[in-house]
Amino acid sequence: MAIQLQQVSYTYADRSLWKQTALHDIDLSIPQGSIVGIAGATGSGKSTLLQLFNGILKPSAGTVSVLDVTLRAGEKSPRLLPLRRRVGLVFQFPEQQMFEETVEKDLCFGPLNFGMSPEDAKERARKAMLDMGLDLDLLERNPFKLSGGQMRKAAIASVLAMDPDIIVLDEPTATLDPISRTELISLLERLCREQGRTVVIVTHRMDELLPVADNWVVLKEGRTAFQGNASDLAKDPAILERCGLTVPQSLRYWRAVADRLGLEDEVPRLTAESLAELIASLRTEGKGLDGAGGKRDDHE
Amino acid sequence: MKEAHEEQANGAKAGQVVIELEGVSFGYGPEHPILQDISFTIPQGQWVSVVGPNGCGKSSLVKLFNALLPAGAGEITVCGMKLEEASIGPIRQSIGMIFQNPDNQFVGATVEEDILFGLEGLCLSHEEMENRLQIYSERLGIAHLLAKHPGELSGGQKQRVAIASILAMEPGIVIFDEASSMLDEGSRDELLSILKGMHAEGRYTLLMITHDADEILASERVLALHGGSLAADVTPAELFRNEELLERCHLRAPYAWRLAGELEERGIQVDVPGSEKELIETLWPYNYSK
Repeated sequence: MAIQLQQVSYTYADRSLWKQTALHDIDLSIPQGSIVGIAGATGSGKSTLLQLFNGILKPSAGTVSVLDVTLRAGEKSPRLLPLRRRVGLVFQFPEQQMFEETVEKDLCFGPLNFGMSPEDAKERARKAMLDMGLDLDLLERNPFKLSGGQMRKAAIASVLAMDPDIIVLDEPTATLDPISRTELISLLERLCREQGRTVVIVTHRMDELLPVADNWVVLKEGRTAFQGNASDLAKDPAILERCGLTVPQSLRYWRAVADRLGLEDEVPRLTAESLAELIASLRTEGKGLDGAGGKRDDHE
Repeated sequence: MKEAHEEQANGAKAGQVVIELEGVSFGYGPEHPILQDISFTIPQGQWVSVVGPNGCGKSSLVKLFNALLPAGAGEITVCGMKLEEASIGPIRQSIGMIFQNPDNQFVGATVEEDILFGLEGLCLSHEEMENRLQIYSERLGIAHLLAKHPGELSGGQKQRVAIASILAMEPGIVIFDEASSMLDEGSRDELLSILKGMHAEGRYTLLMITHDADEILASERVLALHGGSLAADVTPAELFRNEELLERCHLRAPYAWRLAGELEERGIQVDVPGSEKELIETLWPYNYSK
């Protein structure tokens, strides 16, 4: 397991009058080399959960294990520097993450800080820029003179430049245009499938992540309301509504087609292309034609 | 004096041109040109989406309208005022802007103070300020939040407060710069219905920088920027049927449009469904099997 949480709770301002428990009794396992989506309404504890993954926050109760480091509530924490290099966190607002005077310095800051030579750090920076589809000319620019979308890509590049084993992203696609979003998701998929990295993404655009995520965690008021894969979710999308979320279009259309044709055991088709493909193939087989339900066809 | 301003800000009649750009260029210094030779006009009451890839100059373009950025060349006219000639006050009064991150827009310690801040700047009477505070906080459903600190609000609530503060100043033109991109889906739907309500009122000209397919679909006209120039001036339906243009603008059609397109490629002709129920009823009408 890349990340394992056992009965973890987190309380803000624990010893004060204003204490507020953001996470209750969370059990969670994220296998190495998988892509996990985390969803939940505003204030459900998503961002708090992410900050437990590299020791920014320490559990108020329970145990957090990330790679080979274990953090137990109430115990002195081990050295966290190696963990911070191996777990890269991209926050919700990229402008709060960049601070140097050029993009290149910003990207080199992490690698240099973790003891890499300046040449290697610059090489890493260039590679991360290209991975994010950013022009190398932007390296010389002031990060605050970039557009919102470019700045976000640069912030993600600065985390990739550290070559982390686990990449954790909080709403990474929010300000990107739809093509850049698709590109980012497929880059993250490659980093996972080809290089065995673990990718954790908090998102309120479930649509774009549904086709690639291995597992989903849905939070409600600081507790896990759902854990499972897209097929589990497709069986009962209403769980999302109970958690204050909107059911994504792809899931709604799949559910409607599956209900009409009785496709309970099929793998859910969660892209427009794959759903159209399925409908077309059912038609050529003569199934589901002119109102004949799939279930009835199966008996024929 | 006040009345003269109001005349300029809100007096435009339906169909009258309220924004006119003529050969406008802009750049961050000569080595970083952003926009080149842009010309278009926008009539009063129109709802316009401004689209294009990240970094193509969308935000720079709308910041030229209210002189947040100075145009490098060309002429901009807003509500009959030429930007180089008019003073900034009345121009800013006729254009309200709402940004991506409402946190960057708050000034007051409470929601009420935040809405009143803009009104104080307009030198309105106490009575009028109270009046507007009440009207606009009710219209946006935030009347119960007036005593709260902005930090206590959810993202969607913050965005509504930001909109209320802008609308209270009664601008004729309202610009939304990716105002929904940080919101969750529920708050996005909420924002969209606010926009539809504003458009139906007819007194606002709406400009919306957006990547969101549903928002684009709800608007009347799409200005597509690419590589610093105006690449297309089309209706949303024309945009979503034009694969090549979508790709150039880094956009995707709404799910239902893509599904209809994919089905068509496979020889199944359906109209773009309005909902999943509609699709099912079109593909597999029940009455046949019964």
